[in-house]
Amino acid sequence: MIEILRRMLRSPQGALGLVIVGLILLVVIAGPWVAPQDPEKMAPLMRYKPPSAQFWLGTDQYGRDILSRLLHGARATVVMAVLATALGTLVGAVIGTVSAFLGGRSDEAIMRTVDAIMSIPSLLLALLIVNLLGKSSLNALLAIALAFAPGMARVTRSVALSVRKQDYVNAAVARGESAAFIVGREMLPNVVAPIIVEMTIRVAFAVMLFATLSFLGLGAQPPASEWGLMVSEARRFMHLSAWMILWPSLAIALVAIGFNLLGDGLRDALNPRT
Amino acid sequence: MSETILDIAGYGLDYATPTGFMRALDDVTLQVAKGEVLGLVGESGSGKTSLAWAIMRYLPASAREAGAIRLTGQDLLKASEAEIEAIRGKRIGMVFQDPSTSLNPTLPLGEQLAEVLVRHRGLTRKQAWAEGEERLARVGLKIPKQMMRRYPHEASGGEKQRVVIATAFACQPECIIFDEPTTALDVITARQILDLFKELQAETGVASLYISHDLALVSQIATKVAVIHRGRIVEEGALGEVFARPQDAYTRKLLAAVPRPDRRLVETSATEATKPLVEVEKVSVLYGRKPFLGALLGRANTQFTGNREVSLSVMPGEILGIVGESGSGKSTLAKAMTGLNRFEGEIRFAGRRITGLGDMDRAYRRDVQIIFQHPDSSLNPRQRIREILSRPLALYGEPGSRRDAAAIGELLEQVRLPAAYAERYPHQLSGGEKQRVAIARAFASKPRLVICDEITSALDVSVQASVVELLVDLQKRFGTAYLFITHDLNLVRQIAHRIAVMYRGDLVDLVDIAALSTGPLHPYTQSLLEAVPAPATAA
Repeated sequence: MIEILRRMLRSPQGALGLVIVGLILLVVIAGPWVAPQDPEKMAPLMRYKPPSAQFWLGTDQYGRDILSRLLHGARATVVMAVLATALGTLVGAVIGTVSAFLGGRSDEAIMRTVDAIMSIPSLLLALLIVNLLGKSSLNALLAIALAFAPGMARVTRSVALSVRKQDYVNAAVARGESAAFIVGREMLPNVVAPIIVEMTIRVAFAVMLFATLSFLGLGAQPPASEWGLMVSEARRFMHLSAWMILWPSLAIALVAIGFNLLGDGLRDALNPRT
Repeated sequence: MSETILDIAGYGLDYATPTGFMRALDDVTLQVAKGEVLGLVGESGSGKTSLAWAIMRYLPASAREAGAIRLTGQDLLKASEAEIEAIRGKRIGMVFQDPSTSLNPTLPLGEQLAEVLVRHRGLTRKQAWAEGEERLARVGLKIPKQMMRRYPHEASGGEKQRVVIATAFACQPECIIFDEPTTALDVITARQILDLFKELQAETGVASLYISHDLALVSQIATKVAVIHRGRIVEEGALGEVFARPQDAYTRKLLAAVPRPDRRLVETSATEATKPLVEVEKVSVLYGRKPFLGALLGRANTQFTGNREVSLSVMPGEILGIVGESGSGKSTLAKAMTGLNRFEGEIRFAGRRITGLGDMDRAYRRDVQIIFQHPDSSLNPRQRIREILSRPLALYGEPGSRRDAAAIGELLEQVRLPAAYAERYPHQLSGGEKQRVAIARAFASKPRLVICDEITSALDVSVQASVVELLVDLQKRFGTAYLFITHDLNLVRQIAHRIAVMYRGDLVDLVDIAALSTGPLHPYTQSLLEAVPAPATAA
């Protein structure tokens, strides 16, 4: 683990990704304590203020401090997105690898099912699932995980197919290993690198998907300071104060860039040949 | 003494890497005169291909050079980009190793040949096309007119290599570089290409630099030989001189490593056992799924035959060699016997009948082990050697048997590797060492039959010799039977007790090693024997 960290620090994108994601994690953990104001304290006289010494990032339509809201909202936004992506990736990776390993008719059946699910846009699928399960953060998380799994299955399968042809998998089959061992120990570790890259990109998508669900009233509810919700609320007041939409959007972009760079660095570090 | 065409004087080449300079070539001095064939022999990583690219002036930006390469007096290192472009293809030709990658798959063969003629000889397209047809006829293609219009995938490997050779000779260059032109071809096709090379060489008197790892092959065509080792020319001289009286220790080692059918490594008679260990009875393998929808729609069966009713047997402790060209079904049989392919027919192992994958239980899998061709892909890159070797112990070891570091160390020492290698990853090992680990894995379960599927063909000659020696040693120690699959007839004649010859999925011959030189043989076996270059000791 320490060696992987050292390898990551050696490449510029890995180091930068680590710094950004580290900062985000810091905000997630310590955000509420360092926030200068109460995120829900309204100030009717201080609405639509640009950044100033009192409100570093300005105020929103109720005069609430945007910085404090961002710091509080990090938990709801980042943690949920990462968890949902991780869950979806895990499910997808296992499905994809198993499908590639089985081959033949089973592969055909699994992948056509996955195709069918993929033909539904992920937002619609998430909406469907949230509506079926009821509104709650946990259900939104499950919905996004389920919406991501087919795509991850597809990515994983394409990598796993080339791994399946490698002789070390043949050797394991000839040795009489169980299917679970071959999938879990011989194949999965060798498809990890592209999955991690794909996963980091999807963290950014997950943030957006949560935001959209919140916007539609199915995810976080006002007055929660979820970043996506903040963007969608600020949309209506953009002409009054552009800062309101700028800051949460930047925060989301920073999360996306950070996770992307981290993925790049991880890919290089996880490959023992480089 | 005829005129020197290619003169390489004190040439050195370094590649800049993040960790400093890496020496590829060191003070190389060679001359090739008109009408000469200089055979440049070296193992992988010796820098022979780097030299070819240096002469063609096609090096990566990280290359740092020293010395001079002169083509009839003109120093190519000092030539401008435009001058080099005029020289490439016109005055220096090149023939690559693999014709399937050196031709553009989206252009007809004729287009690629005519392009060279238009570019360098200033012909019109019509003239170039006519000239191209003539050239193709010259390299022995029977239907040059049709061949001009075909795409690379519509021609066989041998035909494609003939087109590449025709292109190289097209502008009557002064010098042609051949970079292992027959390595990717089958034995018999390679023979024909060599004959063509000799004929064209004698006719045009071109100065040839023939790069190869195969000493036997070079001994047949070259007039001079240079041996390259780690970027240095260690020995150079007339063909007979170098082969008869090698001066350098490395050359001697290389010559000693070449397999010679007359130097047997095992006793000729295997065992006195009368009951075969394994019998393969009419085993057929079909590739491709039975088209479910196709059958409903009445479409023809598109399955491809890998093996057609192959029957053979292996005695305990016997080495049975299987030879044949690529696509002849050698590996298919190996896969069927290890449960990697479905098959029809029956395998009897030590009296037990096995008619399908379901019959292959733990005991069978323990007794029948397989070693694959490429050690790079047969070891999981994410597992340490310790994990790789501990799996067969965990699967097949008797309960209570040791699985600790000492047991792994013993396995490694058995294949002459230090026990400390247990903590390494496969990529930290050389090709030969990786193959030894694969051998150790196969022998961990104390099998009675080991299937070796081309296990030495990805290795250098000297490494191959030590791996083969190790296998023979293990065979003597444990009395294991081998099914030794290879395309190298010289090698298999060294170690096999009997030889099975496969051709397009059929077993065409199964003869005792002694009968190979005397007995009546299938015509295909006969032509295979004739095509194999005699080993280099001839002189």
